[in-house]
Amino acid sequence: MNKTAANTHSHVKEPLIRIVKRDGLKLSKLVLVYVGAILLAMIIGCILLASMGVNPFKFYEKMLTIGVVGNAFPYKCFEGYIKLFTPLLIVSVALSLAFRMKFWNVGGEGQFIVGALVAGWISAIIGESAPSFLVLILMSLGGAIAAGFYGSIASVLKVKFGTNETLMTLMLNYIALYLIMFFGETKADWNILLNEDSARPIFKTFFENAWMPVIKIGSFSLNISLIIAFVITALIFVYLKKTKQGYELSVVGDSISTANYAGMKTGRIIIRTVFISAFLIGLAGAFYVSTAHSLSTSVTNDVGWTGVIVAWLSKLNTLAIVVTSALISILRYGCTQAAAEFASVDSHFADLLQGIILFSVLACDFLTRFKVIINLKRRKSHE
Amino acid sequence: MAAEYAIELKNINKSFGSVAANKNISIGLRRGEILALLGENGSGKTTLMNMLSGIYKPDSGSIFVDGEEVLINSPEDSKRLGIGMVHQHFKLVEKFSAADNIWLGAEKTGLFLKKSRYKKIEEMASRFGFEIDASKLVSNMSVSEKQTLEILKVLYYGANIIILDEPTAVLTVQEIRKLFSVLRKMKEDGHSIIIITHKLDEVMDISDRVAVLRKGEYIDTVNTADTNQQQLTELMVGKKIDLNIERVKTEKKLPLLEIRDLTVNNDENAVAIDHVNFYIRGGEILGVAGIAGCGQKELCEAIAGLRPVQSGMIIHEGENIIGWTPKKIIEKGISMSFIPEDRLGMGLAPSLSIIDNMLLKKYNDSKGIFVDRVQGKADADRVIKELSVVTPSANTPVRLLSGGNVQKVLLGREISSGPNVIVTAYPVRGLDINSSYAIYDILNAEKRKGTGILFVGEDLDVLLALCDKIMVLCHGKVMGIVHAHKTTKEELGLMMTGALDYNDEKAFGIAKDSRINEKTEAGGEPNE
Amino acid sequence: MNNEALGIFINFLFSIVVYSIPLLYGTVGEIITEKSGSLNLGVEGTMAIGGVAGYIIGCSTNSVTVGILAAMLFGALCGLVFSFLTVTLQANQNVTGLTMTTFGLGVYFFIGNGLASSGKWPIMTEHSAIINSWEAKIPFLSNIPIIGKILFSYNIFVYLAVIIAIVAYLYMKYTKMGLKMRAIGENPAAADSLGVNVIAYKYIHIMLGSAIMGIGGLYMGLNLGGSFEGSTCWINGYGWIAIALVIFAGWNTAYAILGTLVFGFFNTLQVYNTDLAYAFPNVLGWLSKIPPHLFKALPFIITAIVLVAASIRKKKNPNEPSACGINYYREDR
Repeated sequence: MNKTAANTHSHVKEPLIRIVKRDGLKLSKLVLVYVGAILLAMIIGCILLASMGVNPFKFYEKMLTIGVVGNAFPYKCFEGYIKLFTPLLIVSVALSLAFRMKFWNVGGEGQFIVGALVAGWISAIIGESAPSFLVLILMSLGGAIAAGFYGSIASVLKVKFGTNETLMTLMLNYIALYLIMFFGETKADWNILLNEDSARPIFKTFFENAWMPVIKIGSFSLNISLIIAFVITALIFVYLKKTKQGYELSVVGDSISTANYAGMKTGRIIIRTVFISAFLIGLAGAFYVSTAHSLSTSVTNDVGWTGVIVAWLSKLNTLAIVVTSALISILRYGCTQAAAEFASVDSHFADLLQGIILFSVLACDFLTRFKVIINLKRRKSHE
Repeated sequence: MAAEYAIELKNINKSFGSVAANKNISIGLRRGEILALLGENGSGKTTLMNMLSGIYKPDSGSIFVDGEEVLINSPEDSKRLGIGMVHQHFKLVEKFSAADNIWLGAEKTGLFLKKSRYKKIEEMASRFGFEIDASKLVSNMSVSEKQTLEILKVLYYGANIIILDEPTAVLTVQEIRKLFSVLRKMKEDGHSIIIITHKLDEVMDISDRVAVLRKGEYIDTVNTADTNQQQLTELMVGKKIDLNIERVKTEKKLPLLEIRDLTVNNDENAVAIDHVNFYIRGGEILGVAGIAGCGQKELCEAIAGLRPVQSGMIIHEGENIIGWTPKKIIEKGISMSFIPEDRLGMGLAPSLSIIDNMLLKKYNDSKGIFVDRVQGKADADRVIKELSVVTPSANTPVRLLSGGNVQKVLLGREISSGPNVIVTAYPVRGLDINSSYAIYDILNAEKRKGTGILFVGEDLDVLLALCDKIMVLCHGKVMGIVHAHKTTKEELGLMMTGALDYNDEKAFGIAKDSRINEKTEAGGEPNE
Repeated sequence: MNNEALGIFINFLFSIVVYSIPLLYGTVGEIITEKSGSLNLGVEGTMAIGGVAGYIIGCSTNSVTVGILAAMLFGALCGLVFSFLTVTLQANQNVTGLTMTTFGLGVYFFIGNGLASSGKWPIMTEHSAIINSWEAKIPFLSNIPIIGKILFSYNIFVYLAVIIAIVAYLYMKYTKMGLKMRAIGENPAAADSLGVNVIAYKYIHIMLGSAIMGIGGLYMGLNLGGSFEGSTCWINGYGWIAIALVIFAGWNTAYAILGTLVFGFFNTLQVYNTDLAYAFPNVLGWLSKIPPHLFKALPFIITAIVLVAASIRKKKNPNEPSACGINYYREDR
């Protein structure tokens, strides 16, 4: 009995690195960590760019200034930026609603497409005859409601049967994608979305009544949908913080059994919230086609995916979403601007860089939750 | 054989974030003894032992095995040093067989899984005096079978220092007795044993010495033979404390809640509550005893309207409430609070503030679309004051509070709604003695007001002292309802395992002055 | 049935296998990952990176073997990034996986467009060894009429995938390492307490799974003739279907063989619909009237239906790893 166990154990050393949980970080340090993460990613991007034979600093300069510098029509850059930023803001805010209930709606792409498609269809029917404001309202409402119902497929199934909503909304994305491709590539009498004058199937340009109005500030046109996007964001902020529905949402998201226990109709709350989420995404889709004046099979610009990432990066905080989506839009829009100048860089560099930034943020996020202790004086068990 | 101690801890410190769980603790385990590690919940016993099992690493301090300093970086190191721990929450893979759960860590057993492993494990078990079915899946095992498997696991890997964390918490009196005889035998075989517990009678029964921790600090080690329960309590709590729970006397009132022939299914659609009859009078505490998971949760949820009922009646003040929405049942004055094992699962939203949690059941009572947080703040402040909840502010998220304060918030909210029936399950789960007594006082105060209380408990001593009557459940069936002042722990233990069943001997569970009349009965099934 | 119709039908059966195999790589890779306790939603990106790397390196060395090894290596590198972030740095698995997809597609297009725009994108038909091994058949056996075509005329990737699926099945069921790996997927704390090196096991299996996904990516590229389009990725959503197929196959790599065949069937219909309608005008004539987009959407529609059906069945699959998707940190309380 009791053989000296320590003898067989003589090489154990204390580990060099230890990881310990921490309570949380001050805001200033938090910002520092994230800035560090972005810098780290940019440095990796630098190396990549340099290896492509591109001067990374020139590229970054172009990117971060979204192409304004040295441009004869700088206001066009702002307009292009807003065109990208507006849908991203609305979609990210909308997704954060569903995410707050731990409903992983990754179906932003599909819901956006459905919204855009229905809005396009409505504009094709009534765009010529009806007054502009009516066309715009019907387009927005039609697109939003259709997207709302499309999103509800996943939520109703989730509530009724517990169907995995992540995979479900994913599949719905692809189904919507092939749907819009079907409309875009099928020449037929019934297909009023296509340009009649073209032999090849292409989407036609909207009637002018269906164009999103702009406010002229000099030569710069401020798109009304940007203002509406900010109003929506503010309303959602109040909705979450102050209303009963917002309260229900946070209880359901925090503990579904507690919500049941309190007598809340949790299924209804989930379906309602996901409807609102998808409704807003569809609205963004309608706004977008009305701003672009036409449909396209690549109408989403990956906004459904980027929105997931923005919402998560912002920790579902509405105000943080405004900042993050503005920054990500700079990255994405700036990248296409810069890529246009440097022939050897593909515009997909934005995806790549975004991926690296996120990896880097995910890695640095670790520092906000854990402390790393480096132990240089490692003790041995048996000396 | 130089060292006096099989294992010795010196000046151990460990903190989690800003919370210091262990402060400069030094204790030693002698060879071949059973050392009880005594302390209240949250006193740092498990944390300390997890540093021996390799799950935590101490921030500072040293550990000696057989007088030689060792480092334990991982469970693997711990295993190699001959230390084995039976954790309170069993570390078993539910979908694996008993044999595979042991085999998992076995070294030098070849690349492939061979059928012979079942036999090898069974032989090993019988060598230590256990009969097991090595191919039985853990998910099909009872709690005590799982515990046996955990002990076998430890023995298989040749541990001679064995740590058991609250091994009796889930066992019946009879099973505890069996466990203790196993431990005594292991001690005779030369094993050194540490048993973590906060139950004093068990300490007196099994241990040779007792080491006491309080709030993360080491207090003292005493010989069991030289001490008594009162002294141990003082060491543990830090002050003299009256160990008696008061049983308030009240006048007999009419039944408030009557359960007739109730059958409820669990999540897997198996019968969880099986044709149950009982009733609660106003000003009465009815205790519910039973092994964990024998229908307590389903019963509570059925009463609160959270779970569909298969058959039977739930009569509140003469009205059958089956099929009512949870909301309506709350409004009728039935309050249910259930503290699950993770303590935050049902009844509270952990990330929300105390204020928001106060509003949980009445946020919809105010007019308009906005939540009335002024009302919530007033409620929160009152509960914080009346029940002396320790919190930085009413805006603090509930999950940041300590266990006792969380439970005070929950009970405080339930009581402030002025219920006439309180259903409460495990309200003192994980609490220290002082907080527990605060909760008992709250319940007794409600009882004095004439509220009927259903108290689902774990600790038989508490049930015996606090309740008027105790109903014992076994696999969803009522084994009997007994008067708390007339019964014993042994009797309850036998009923809990189903060895004693009063169903054939006498009728119980139906009040002579029942408020069920023809009208209500029309809705349900007649019982008599 | 005339000879021409029979030929078309046999070609159809043949194509089912050809189209289902890339999914098998993705599915088996994901099952290995999930069984060891990690949910990797980055299959799409991992397949894209593995595929493009394997293709370029394979072509430039004119060797399929090197191509496969490169696809595995780069797949495994994606797995390494995923493991480092989720296992060591405890990052959220869902977000890390989604990011891997964005990143992977970014890399795919970045490299592909970069090479294509400078005319350096390798053309498959110019690489004899690759074409030869792509078209190589099992000697003798493949000459047997009908059966030879249906069973023995595939390229090596098909047989490799089936072998990997079966070996993975045997590994998980009958080996000690498999037992440990499954234990980690069920209850990492239990495995850890018995001295199983949870971190190492997770790294190994995530990387192994990702390496297998990488081969699938290469296969998809080769099957498309290695042509690079600036807008559509080779993988085109199949990584996501692979994730859904894991549920369909019940976390069993042997069942995954059958599961992928079902999807291969619908996938093949979109290519063979007009041929089949032509060969069997009476029975299948309607096939030619269905728009091609519906066929393209079919695998996704079927997956959605399978998901719903699986959830209606209510009972949880006992093979589903309980701790999948949850990070393990030993000191968690």
